[in-house]
Amino acid sequence: MNDPYSVLGVSPSASDDEVKRAYRDLARKYHPDNYHDNPLADLASEKMKEINEAYDAITKSREQGGGSSYSYGGSAYQTAGQSRGAGKNAQYIQIRNLINANNLAQAEAMLNAIGSHDAEWYYLMGSVYWRRGWMDQAGQYYRTAATMDPSNVEYRNAVQYMNQGGQAYRPTGGMGASMMGGDAACNMCQNLICADCCCEMCGGNLIPCIGCR
Amino acid sequence: MYGYVRPVKGELKISEFERFRGVYCGLCHELARRYGFLSRFLVNYDFTFLAMLLADEGPAKTCPRRCPSHPFRRTECLESSQSLQTAADMTVVLGWWKLADGTADGRLPARLGCGLACRALKRAYGRAAARQPDFAAAAEENLRALQKLEKEKCPSLDAAADKFARLLRSIASGVEDLARRRAAGELLYHLGRIIYILDAADDLAEDIKTDGYNPLRYRFQPVDGKLSDEDEKVLRTGMQHSHNALVSAYVLMGENVYAGILSNIIYLGLPAATQAVFAGTWNTSAKIHRKRSSI
Repeated sequence: MNDPYSVLGVSPSASDDEVKRAYRDLARKYHPDNYHDNPLADLASEKMKEINEAYDAITKSREQGGGSSYSYGGSAYQTAGQSRGAGKNAQYIQIRNLINANNLAQAEAMLNAIGSHDAEWYYLMGSVYWRRGWMDQAGQYYRTAATMDPSNVEYRNAVQYMNQGGQAYRPTGGMGASMMGGDAACNMCQNLICADCCCEMCGGNLIPCIGCR
Repeated sequence: MYGYVRPVKGELKISEFERFRGVYCGLCHELARRYGFLSRFLVNYDFTFLAMLLADEGPAKTCPRRCPSHPFRRTECLESSQSLQTAADMTVVLGWWKLADGTADGRLPARLGCGLACRALKRAYGRAAARQPDFAAAAEENLRALQKLEKEKCPSLDAAADKFARLLRSIASGVEDLARRRAAGELLYHLGRIIYILDAADDLAEDIKTDGYNPLRYRFQPVDGKLSDEDEKVLRTGMQHSHNALVSAYVLMGENVYAGILSNIIYLGLPAATQAVFAGTWNTSAKIHRKRSSI
């Protein structure tokens, strides 16, 4: 295994807090939630495992204990479709497995060979497009699936995830601009208030309170 | 190329800005050195970004140089390196194709200009394509496929964007390490998608006026050259997902000497460009940017 300190990018003389902070930032970066149905999910989970091991090794060697309770469970992550309600017929299960194995061409060929298109068909076609990076088409297929079978939680979740814009890592400190716009100013205020709270904890002040002057 | 891939200058450290300018000017000098004076006009922000993203040499060396646009001021330029040479080759390949594309549509004077520039750069293109045969082949294949889709008035936004995205993804094939190559490929695919969609959104009003192809015309129902609020939301949410995928790939790329600048471009620059395009201020803000920064 690599040197646990270099994995976390801190020096061996770093304080426990610094180690924890470095670990948390990295864990936020490679968190499975950022790799929802993503073709690079395997790379991220490897990275996550490496970070968890490094953090555990450091806390163990420092004999502080309790640190491992912070470790994010990378292995608990499962790709969509694998765990959630599988389709009725065997063909759909096979297609789901192909999608999860990133074999999109074959999954698409099998889907195209199916004559009648029910909600599950639209959902799986959406998943194929999603993994390929065709987000617009994926959204249209997910919406069709959810309209055809409004009671299905999996389809509904997919539409909701699609509409809400998903998530990815953003560094702290005002680097969190969104492509969707509209709430940029709002975010700025939130960041400022956040930063102010942090500063006040350290004894500083970004937004001076009039009464305190 | 398009110029959407640029940093938010006010958020760069001064040292970062100087290094960014060093790469930009270095690329321009590299173009002149390899392909002659005329190719300098092809220098752009997009390939400056790519030169930084795929730089795998250690800390880069710079040297002060003058150039025709700043005859009295020496700029610290990045010295020639493998990644800079590759970026210069690819700039010429894609720049030439873009000019060739310009001869096919647009108004007559513009077409004539593109035709002349195309002919003048023909030899440079030949040399660049010989140095980067895989990229040249990918450029030809995908841009021809894109032209075909445009002729057919393809209604799928994803299918049209896919061609340009694949073209950018092919740049990653030169990365040696497999994990890094996969991450770079995914990043570039989504970067290509975002660039293509931004360009389509930026040109929408013009394309409607001149009855040119634009995937957004067929995917949505624009009124008076503009998308409805609802359609814009759907489009931008899709772009947000692409941006998420881009970021998730970026953090898997590993260490990079230009991390500060790249992060600025990815986390701030792309959202800012998107905001400006949809607010309809991109063309004006880009012009102001060019004047003020005058790299």
